[in-house]
Amino acid sequence: MRDTSRPLPFARAAGGVFDLTLDGLVWSRRTFWMAALLGLPVVFGVLYRMVLASRLPPQLQPFDLYGTIVVFYYLRNLVPLAALFYASALVADEVEAKTLTYLLTRPVTRGAILVGKFAAYLVTVLCVTLPAVVLTFFIVLTGGGSHSVSAAVPDLFRDLAVLAAGLLVYGALFTLLGVALRRPILPGLLFLFVWELLANLPGYLPRLTVTAYLRSLVTHRPAEEGIGELFGQVLPASLCLEMLAGMTVVFLGAAIWIFSTREYVFDQ
Amino acid sequence: MTRSRGVVLGAASLLTVGAGLALGAIYLSPARAAVGPLPAVGLSLPAESRFVVGIDVRRFVASPLYRRYSDKMPVRPQAFAELQERTGLDPERDIDQVVIAGQGPTRSDQGVVLVLGRFDRYKLSRAIETEKRGVTWKDYQGTTVYLFGEAANRRSGAAAFLDDHTIVLGGRPLVESVIASHASGEGNLRSNAKVVALLEQVRPGSTFWMVGDQSLMDQMPRSVPAPGAPMSGGPAPMQSLQLPGLKSMIVTGDLDPVMAVEATGEAADVTAAKNLADVVRGFVALAALQAGQKPELKELASSISVSTEANQVRVNARVPYEVLDALQPKPRNRTEGAEPEAQK
Repeated sequence: MRDTSRPLPFARAAGGVFDLTLDGLVWSRRTFWMAALLGLPVVFGVLYRMVLASRLPPQLQPFDLYGTIVVFYYLRNLVPLAALFYASALVADEVEAKTLTYLLTRPVTRGAILVGKFAAYLVTVLCVTLPAVVLTFFIVLTGGGSHSVSAAVPDLFRDLAVLAAGLLVYGALFTLLGVALRRPILPGLLFLFVWELLANLPGYLPRLTVTAYLRSLVTHRPAEEGIGELFGQVLPASLCLEMLAGMTVVFLGAAIWIFSTREYVFDQ
Repeated sequence: MTRSRGVVLGAASLLTVGAGLALGAIYLSPARAAVGPLPAVGLSLPAESRFVVGIDVRRFVASPLYRRYSDKMPVRPQAFAELQERTGLDPERDIDQVVIAGQGPTRSDQGVVLVLGRFDRYKLSRAIETEKRGVTWKDYQGTTVYLFGEAANRRSGAAAFLDDHTIVLGGRPLVESVIASHASGEGNLRSNAKVVALLEQVRPGSTFWMVGDQSLMDQMPRSVPAPGAPMSGGPAPMQSLQLPGLKSMIVTGDLDPVMAVEATGEAADVTAAKNLADVVRGFVALAALQAGQKPELKELASSISVSTEANQVRVNARVPYEVLDALQPKPRNRTEGAEPEAQK
């Protein structure tokens, strides 16, 4: 017989919230559109194989094209955007819809609620993003023959790991924004498209961004124009991993602390 | 099981199948193991290599640099036409990549070249066998090795087809070593951890690239004339600059849309890196000072940036073709050249 005066065990409570949130996230309009955007390179890959491959200049090899898609499309744009739109809404949507009260009145700790929601976010975005990258990889690279596929396999695994790390760290950051701010989207967009540009500057400024660490971990270095080409840095892999892990822990810890201590007052 | 869990399971299955296929591709093509920009066959290069250079011939031929300057070399079309007639080989069309490995500038006999492309093997072999004097050939581990100058009692050069798409050229011992390691997969460049680590840092897709380890850097000149010092005469302590030693060097370059070269050198420590960067900046500043006599030098100097990151020095140059054109020597006017003679 459970002691009803005490909250449910953390893991069980987080699991319950995970199930509830996963249903809401997977079958949502947001996921439909995000899956369409994340799957766009698959469509492009088919188009490339059927039409473009014979018309593009010879210097654009399938592996270069795949690398460009991973770096410019996924890593720099879609992964941070997916994290922003999902993670910042984990709590903000409940506040907006005034349904947070129903969660908070359950016999579960607030930490378990946030951890369950974050786990559901992570599983959802990983399920939408990683299969699209794998499909793009095979569709684009089989154009260069089986040898070109096997040559790029280590890069595929590395890319998948880096994209997963990106979803994790950006997710933690935007979860923090979501619990701290009532409308986190605009600050989040400013962070992604203004602050993250510091990654293109010389000196130590790139170390103040998230994207510089993620970019350094992938091996693709597509040609760039402007200051990004001049000053683009590749940071040591060990530093990148440490920083990404540290940021995830700090952002998620801060988000849990704020969510656990903050009093949410809804407009009448 | 809820529908959501079904979706998660489906995505996980897709990932698992993809990972399985990817691992299967490696298993079925074990020769791959390419490193950085080096093609799989490049790993057959000797383990003792101190530097590796690569040129992506297809990118090079398609670049604005080649289009601009190839037409100005009158010998090119004729030479290529003759080569094509004799061997069926059109370098512009048939060669994809050239990889050169060696042990340094003082060991010129220790270089080996891999040429990757599409070859008419019969026609090329026939051309070698019939049209060049002093060529002999022998079988080495099932591969025909053509030897040049063996009869003249010199260190013979050699060439062989590693496969239908790869020719290896170089000194005979090295060519035989490449053939052996290509066949067995042992004793190759993969066992040279330092060079392999450098290759992994090269940006894929570069038109040309070079990596060199410390033993190569040790063979490089350690002092350069100081700015303003006379170029001839004995070395004077105050007139030359001592360069800090480099542990390794990586150079990558692209030719489209501008000529972009990035050289990254790893110095012994942070101080040495800063010293080296200061020396390079000094020479760039010196070039800028010559702008009064040659204005295009200022543009050239402004296209070069030098930065340091811990013990690494990075020199980045992005030179527009207009600047390169301006730096080309102007064709001499015949009448101008004749004037002094006439005055005499």
